[in-house]
Amino acid sequence: MHKLGRGHRDKVQQFMTITGASEKIALQALKASDWHLEGAFDFFYSQPHIKSYTDTTRLEELYNRYKDPYTDMILVDGITLLCNDLQVDPQDIVMLVVSWHMKASTMCEYSKEEFFIGLQALGIDSLEKFRERIPFMRSELKDEQKFHEIYNFAFGWAKEKGQKSLALDTAIGMWQLLFAEKQWPLVDHWCQFLQARHNKAISRDTWSQLLEFARTIDPALSNYDAEGAWPYLIDEFVEYLNENGIIQNGQFSDRSQK
Amino acid sequence: MSNQKKRSFQIEAFKHRVVVDPKYAERTWKIIEHAIHEIYNHNASGLSFEELYRNAYNMVLHKFGDKLYSGLVTTMSAHLKEISKSIEVAQGALFLEELNRKWNDHHKALQMIRDILMYMDRTYIPNTRKTPVHELGLNLWRDYIIHSGKIQSRLLSTLLELVHKERTGEVIDRGLMRNIIKMLMDLGSSVYQEDFEKPFLEVSAEFYKVESQKFIECCDCGDYLKKAEIRLNEEIERVAHYLDVKSEAKITNVVEKEMIANHMTRLVHMENSGLVNMLLDDKYEDLGKMYNLFKRVPNGLSMIRDVMTSHLRETGKQLVTDVESSKDPVEFVQRLLDERDKYDKIICQAFSNSKTFQNALNSSFEYFINLNSRSPEFISLFVDDKLRKGLKGVTEEDVEIILDKVMMLFRYLREKDVFEKYYKQHLAKRLLSGKTVCDDAERSLIVKLKTECGYQFTSKLEGMFTDMKTSEDTMQGFYANHPELADGPTLVVQVLTTGSWPTQATVTCNLPTEMATLCEKFRSHYLGTHTGRRLSWQTNMGTADIKATFGKGQKHELNVSTYQMCVLMLFNNYDMLSYKEIEQATEIPTSDLKRCLQSMACVKGKNVLRKEPMSKDIGTDDAFFVNDKFTSKFYKVKIGTVVAQKESEPEKLETRQRVEEDRKPQIEAAVVRIMKSRRVLDHNNVIAEVTKQLQSRFLANPTEIKKRIESLIEREFLERDSADRKVYRYLA
Repeated sequence: MHKLGRGHRDKVQQFMTITGASEKIALQALKASDWHLEGAFDFFYSQPHIKSYTDTTRLEELYNRYKDPYTDMILVDGITLLCNDLQVDPQDIVMLVVSWHMKASTMCEYSKEEFFIGLQALGIDSLEKFRERIPFMRSELKDEQKFHEIYNFAFGWAKEKGQKSLALDTAIGMWQLLFAEKQWPLVDHWCQFLQARHNKAISRDTWSQLLEFARTIDPALSNYDAEGAWPYLIDEFVEYLNENGIIQNGQFSDRSQK
Repeated sequence: MSNQKKRSFQIEAFKHRVVVDPKYAERTWKIIEHAIHEIYNHNASGLSFEELYRNAYNMVLHKFGDKLYSGLVTTMSAHLKEISKSIEVAQGALFLEELNRKWNDHHKALQMIRDILMYMDRTYIPNTRKTPVHELGLNLWRDYIIHSGKIQSRLLSTLLELVHKERTGEVIDRGLMRNIIKMLMDLGSSVYQEDFEKPFLEVSAEFYKVESQKFIECCDCGDYLKKAEIRLNEEIERVAHYLDVKSEAKITNVVEKEMIANHMTRLVHMENSGLVNMLLDDKYEDLGKMYNLFKRVPNGLSMIRDVMTSHLRETGKQLVTDVESSKDPVEFVQRLLDERDKYDKIICQAFSNSKTFQNALNSSFEYFINLNSRSPEFISLFVDDKLRKGLKGVTEEDVEIILDKVMMLFRYLREKDVFEKYYKQHLAKRLLSGKTVCDDAERSLIVKLKTECGYQFTSKLEGMFTDMKTSEDTMQGFYANHPELADGPTLVVQVLTTGSWPTQATVTCNLPTEMATLCEKFRSHYLGTHTGRRLSWQTNMGTADIKATFGKGQKHELNVSTYQMCVLMLFNNYDMLSYKEIEQATEIPTSDLKRCLQSMACVKGKNVLRKEPMSKDIGTDDAFFVNDKFTSKFYKVKIGTVVAQKESEPEKLETRQRVEEDRKPQIEAAVVRIMKSRRVLDHNNVIAEVTKQLQSRFLANPTEIKKRIESLIEREFLERDSADRKVYRYLA
């Protein structure tokens, strides 16, 4: 929000107050209507599947179904149950998208507030609606901008509470998951490289810069610039690729080293 | 007298043109013509200047100037034609002499004629814009004599032949040459240039081309340069004697081009006598010649400089990477100093102390000194050696000179922080073992380092000196307060401030009882006067002097390390001790204990202990005895082990690691400083700025800088700009 100008910020506030929508939706609507409040309202109300109002009581019911008996949070068991109900694998990336909507702070647990925020943002107050929304959420991953946000969100979400960096194993797991959607050819080599050479936690900067790297640099590294201010780890990775003949003379030969 | 008729004088204006008798003009001209003839026939003495002048004056006045002028031209021309013939017939050497003589005659005649015809010169000629008499005379001479078909080429070839003769060593009539050349100059600069100078230069070029080719085939470089210099001076002298001064630059150019510029490369690279050989053999004279000659041609000096630089770099590189010389650090540095002295002298004596050559010398040294990563260590060891013992008997000025030279080498180092680390270590050892020969020299060097690198560099070093002084005072205070201890063993404690001295792991051992109690007393004394401090005994750094009596009554005073003292004192109570017993009793760390025992039991001349078995290495089952048969020529025997030495490989790695570690915070501090003032800066500029800031201490590695930046991003001092990932922002 701090990146917006004064006028825009006001409009977002107004929109949110009037429609009761989340900041994200407000931004979306205003952007789509080129920052005209009227147009934004039209946009918002014409979207049939974004309901501004969800039944709080029903949400309460849903929450209670999954909440842990001893704490006011949804923990691992609750989440597993939820996934079952949705007929979705707990490892499925769509759960990440759900967590993103909830702005969950850590994986494997949802606070009540997070649960409410997320489901409200998605306009869900029942399991059927939830199931209906799953294809939509999957589609969000295809959106460049949203994927970017989800990817960066994943770092904070996946790491241990109170830690600054992400443990290597978790990071690798996340990358495998995320890049399955994005199709980055070098992801396996990247993970192998990290396990062989780095063996330490991943910093936030490296995490976010990796996405940039995957997006902008082609797999044959033809447009890789050594002076490009890439994190040191990525520079090492390029060296690794060159050393092991994976990149030869600017050609990417995928010799899968199984 | 009285006239009857009165005449009234009336002067009337002329009402009619007075016509002078036309014959008058002819008559007058004849007089003048005759005079001219007489002048040319050397009969001028019979003439009356006044009469002739008057006649000429009248002619002009009565408007017969034309006749006078044209008559002059005709007459003079006729004479010159005749003169020309007489010159033409002159044979051989007489040709020039005749020419010269006739020229002098003509010149004299011309002057007389000009004087006679002065009025015409002043009135008629300006009005009619004709050539004045003198100039006319010169032009006529030029046209009829110099440019006459038979004379022109003969004159030129004669002159050139004479020059050639002189060049080949013959003596010629310089006076004659001078006159002839002067004649040409008088006739006009174009005459001089066209009729003499140009061909002269061409012929000279040819001559020198041939000669230089001949020389270069048969001479070595030094000889060739000598010859070239001689020729050059010759030509300058020639010009001074009989040519136009303006020709000097031109002829010297010719010589420079033919003899030097064309053969520059070949000379410099000549085998066995070229530039490199001259440098190696310190041939100051030849080098000076080369410098002075090459200075005259374009790119001459830069060629010398380039060859010198690449040779110096090559030699330096070999010096520095030679494995043999690396074995002795003092030797290594001495050779560097010698090399620098050598080139300094060469530049001073032969290259007129040129600044560009000095710069080339400096950059070469900087290049190869840093090729050996141990250079900082070695320079520190050299200084250590000198300050320990090498300065005995050397005067104060000489000490300064040596230290200044060392500072010069220091300036070339890129990794000054490595030097600092080693210097600190070596200084500590020197101070603690009391081995500094010359306190003044030590301090002088510190001052020099401070001037060079700033206060920060030397503050800790100065702290070390302060500690030494303070400790002296403390000891005095201690003994003043405890007079009862005056009879016991003398304790000397140096209290070191942790931050200033090189970091050591604190290791203690069990001191013999007498010492232990003494040390405790000191500790309480010290802590009594200085609250809030902690003391930890550094037993690995001390020394002890102990008096020993051996089996046959021989007494010696042994100077040993603290560890060694602990071991030896044990033998006051036991005749034999096993390794394990010694280890237990003293609690000295294993590697140190082994070294300590080795130096006392296995080294000839210092074997105060006897070991069974007599092997060179210390085994854990060995047994030790006092060596009753120990002998030494000296009463005082030194068995210490604390001399500063070239580090072993593992030690070297450790030091280097510590240096690298120390650099990290320095790099980070630099990054933060820069980002704080710039707020937003792109990656490449950050690297450049940081490198520049740290240049005076070490050469920062861009990869290391990048890692530090990432660490700072991690700790949220910086962030990447959201629009351009190559740009960093400072986070307040």
